[in-house]
Amino acid sequence: MTHPRFLRAARVTAAGLAVGALLLTGCAATVNKPAGTDAAANASAFLTIPREDMSTFDRNFNPFAPTVTPMVQQAIYEPLLISNPLKGDAVPWLATKWDVAKDGKSVTFTLRDGVKWSDGKPLVAEDVVLTFQLQKKIKGGFEYLKEVAAEGSNKVTFSFNTPWSPALYEVGQLPILPKHVWSAVKDPGKDANAKPVGTGPYTEVESFQAQSFVLKKNPNYWQPEKQKIAGIKMLAMSGNDAANLAAANGDVDWATQYIPNIEKTFVSKDKEHRHYWFPPTGAMINWQLNTTKAPFNDPQVRKALSMAVDRDQVTKIGMSGYAQPADCTGLSGHYENWKNPAVKDNCSWTKLNVDEANKLLDEAGYAKGADGKRTLKDGKPFEFKISVGASSSDWLSVANVISQNLQAVGVTARVDSPDWASVVAGYEQGTFDSGIVWSANDPSPYKYFNNSMGTASVKPVGTKTFDNYHRFGDPKADALLKEFAASGDETKQKDIAYKLQEEYNEVAPLVPLFSGPEWGAYNDTRFTGWPTEENAYATLSDRSATTVLVLTTLEPRK
Amino acid sequence: MRFILRRLGFYLIAFWASITLNFLLPRFMPGDPVSRMFARTQGKMQPEQLEALRKLLGVDDRPIWEQYADYMHNIVTGNMGVSISRFPTPVTEVISSQIGWTLLLGGTALVVAAVAGNLLGIMAAWRRGGAIDSALPPLLVFIGSFPYFWLAMGALYLFGVILGWSPLRHAFSDGLEPGFTWEFISDAGAHLVLPALTIVLVSVGGWMLGMRNTMIATNSEDYITMAEAKGLRPGRIMLRYAARNAMLPSVTSFGMSLGFVVGGALLTEVVFAYPGVGYQLLNAVQGLDYPLMQGLFLTITAAVLLANFLVDILYVRLDPRVRSN
Repeated sequence: MTHPRFLRAARVTAAGLAVGALLLTGCAATVNKPAGTDAAANASAFLTIPREDMSTFDRNFNPFAPTVTPMVQQAIYEPLLISNPLKGDAVPWLATKWDVAKDGKSVTFTLRDGVKWSDGKPLVAEDVVLTFQLQKKIKGGFEYLKEVAAEGSNKVTFSFNTPWSPALYEVGQLPILPKHVWSAVKDPGKDANAKPVGTGPYTEVESFQAQSFVLKKNPNYWQPEKQKIAGIKMLAMSGNDAANLAAANGDVDWATQYIPNIEKTFVSKDKEHRHYWFPPTGAMINWQLNTTKAPFNDPQVRKALSMAVDRDQVTKIGMSGYAQPADCTGLSGHYENWKNPAVKDNCSWTKLNVDEANKLLDEAGYAKGADGKRTLKDGKPFEFKISVGASSSDWLSVANVISQNLQAVGVTARVDSPDWASVVAGYEQGTFDSGIVWSANDPSPYKYFNNSMGTASVKPVGTKTFDNYHRFGDPKADALLKEFAASGDETKQKDIAYKLQEEYNEVAPLVPLFSGPEWGAYNDTRFTGWPTEENAYATLSDRSATTVLVLTTLEPRK
Repeated sequence: MRFILRRLGFYLIAFWASITLNFLLPRFMPGDPVSRMFARTQGKMQPEQLEALRKLLGVDDRPIWEQYADYMHNIVTGNMGVSISRFPTPVTEVISSQIGWTLLLGGTALVVAAVAGNLLGIMAAWRRGGAIDSALPPLLVFIGSFPYFWLAMGALYLFGVILGWSPLRHAFSDGLEPGFTWEFISDAGAHLVLPALTIVLVSVGGWMLGMRNTMIATNSEDYITMAEAKGLRPGRIMLRYAARNAMLPSVTSFGMSLGFVVGGALLTEVVFAYPGVGYQLLNAVQGLDYPLMQGLFLTITAAVLLANFLVDILYVRLDPRVRSN
């Protein structure tokens, strides 16, 4: 190594740095410009949406993929019907009507006339049949489904093994695939489906990169008058922070990730155009007590512990005030229409009442000692753990609030926060004491009640289970659930749902905390027609069945 | 030559040990990928679908030695399987579509930090107590001690949002087609500057201090005094006599860091939404995506060992003492 070589290295470095500096200044021109209000620009603009949970995209438009590419089930493929949790109704989509058989053992959908796939071929009943064959073969589920049969080209009948009313929404909401494409695919479970053919409003994949891609208009859409935006652009973001920055900077039109302190960080920068709406239609977030362990097997104890929880504090501290405290029906805001007013209005055990909680615990035989702490019947201290995954900071504060609240009734609850994996392993095996758990969120409340108090979902401790972690079963609820499943009549279903809530109120299978909010914020500088509290035609979610309603309503600002 | 062969043998054993660990460690973690996925979707997946999903994803309950034999066979044949968290994309595709960006970002940052740090270290030691020596080390240590995440967010906010000098995310502008055009390369360069600069800022201090300290030790050696007595130019003494001898530890750490570049700068990728493999690795670990985890660990292991091997060979050239062994 000689002296000039060192100097040369130094010179090369300096030159490199200079180029870097040049690039740094040169790039000022490439920075995203703030969204304009220029009508012509808006008409050709893409609706830009960040995905905070995907750091990169794969060119994989297979709806059977467990972590499906964004918008595949919203903009590319469409279901037979769309259920709207806000109105509690079903919007006919690829099907114009459906008839549930009197015995509840079958349902027949009539397909919409004139629907074409994006390659120009018509939608036929056989498409629906094949979709369900593939679904059952690849992903399983739908055990109750005996047969799917096409009648002519525009009618499909689903028959069931037993009367099964929750089926209508379940089969109705599955996105339909084209038979003429998928029957030729060799391994449908693993095919990347790089050029999707769908009936949705935006099907044409363009400029696909690991960090972003664009979906353009389906040239053969069945309601062309509703394709008012030029296309959808998805951005990959590895986390909330990057997505929040994009939202705050006005680079995206629609953001559904959690934005802390949204008034200040998002809305305040442009009050006229930036809005958010968090309807309580998410899943009910529960505090589940392992009912295979004493004293949680005693409903009186469960109710007492529930009464000791200050849900206002829980939602204020844990959820920044965006969530809505639960009531004794156990149902989230998603099921507002199903709630039994008698149960809801005469609710006792989901309201804070420390005196009553103390009284119930005393009566149940868990007396307070001289130190103000309660002991179990075997003399051990009344102590247990609340398990939450370490990464969920919001639920962690929820658990901390509960732990503090319980001190008032002489109960010690320690918050245990390992990685979610070990938390869930504890739930699945039934070894946990208590934990913060989400619940099913379906069009009908059947699954919620089945998972919270149906005996069919109870597995013995040590046997893996994926629902009913708290392992509670109630034969009375079973009878009602059976009746619910067999009834095709909505008034009757509601009647049974009312009775289920009365039973729920009686046995308190778990401790409901709050309705999870459905996050949604938008910037209407470029596009208008967003769902709002006043015009609740859909939620602001960009990953649910109602998303297509938003996509077909938005229009460029003129 | 014998030295190199012996080293090679050692590296092969190390490689085998680490890929075996790669195989075992994820399997010691609680849970399995499918129930993990189920827990993450929080109620959007039907429990009765889990078995079918398990079959689809190839998550198996075979005895562990059978899985191990399969795993070794796959590694030898270069078949890394299909990623679970990005199903059904093959692992090789997941890695190959992103590793280029990671190498570019990490490599640029490493080279700039090492070169700049070493040069500064040399100069600081040469003029001990001078302006560079007294001002830079405390300043760089101060900056380096900030949590990286915070520093990067701050830089992004200042240069990206307020001043508008730097793009806010991604490796190039969305909608641009990658290719060897001036437009694309300059755009990618512009997106590279800030993320790379933040890594350089936090790591340059370490390089500088390391070099400075060995340089100071070297400076007190007799041969430096001898060279000065002979009346050689100070620049020549500094670079050829002192720096060359003080460089060995820097070469070692450069080699080691080179290997770890492949692992990706996780936090940088998170802050700047840079499409590299670092965040992918985190995701793979969280989702218990065995195939992707194994693929990434394998790549990292191979890179670290290869880089170390190259440093070993380089040492033979740089340090006569190794040769005589």
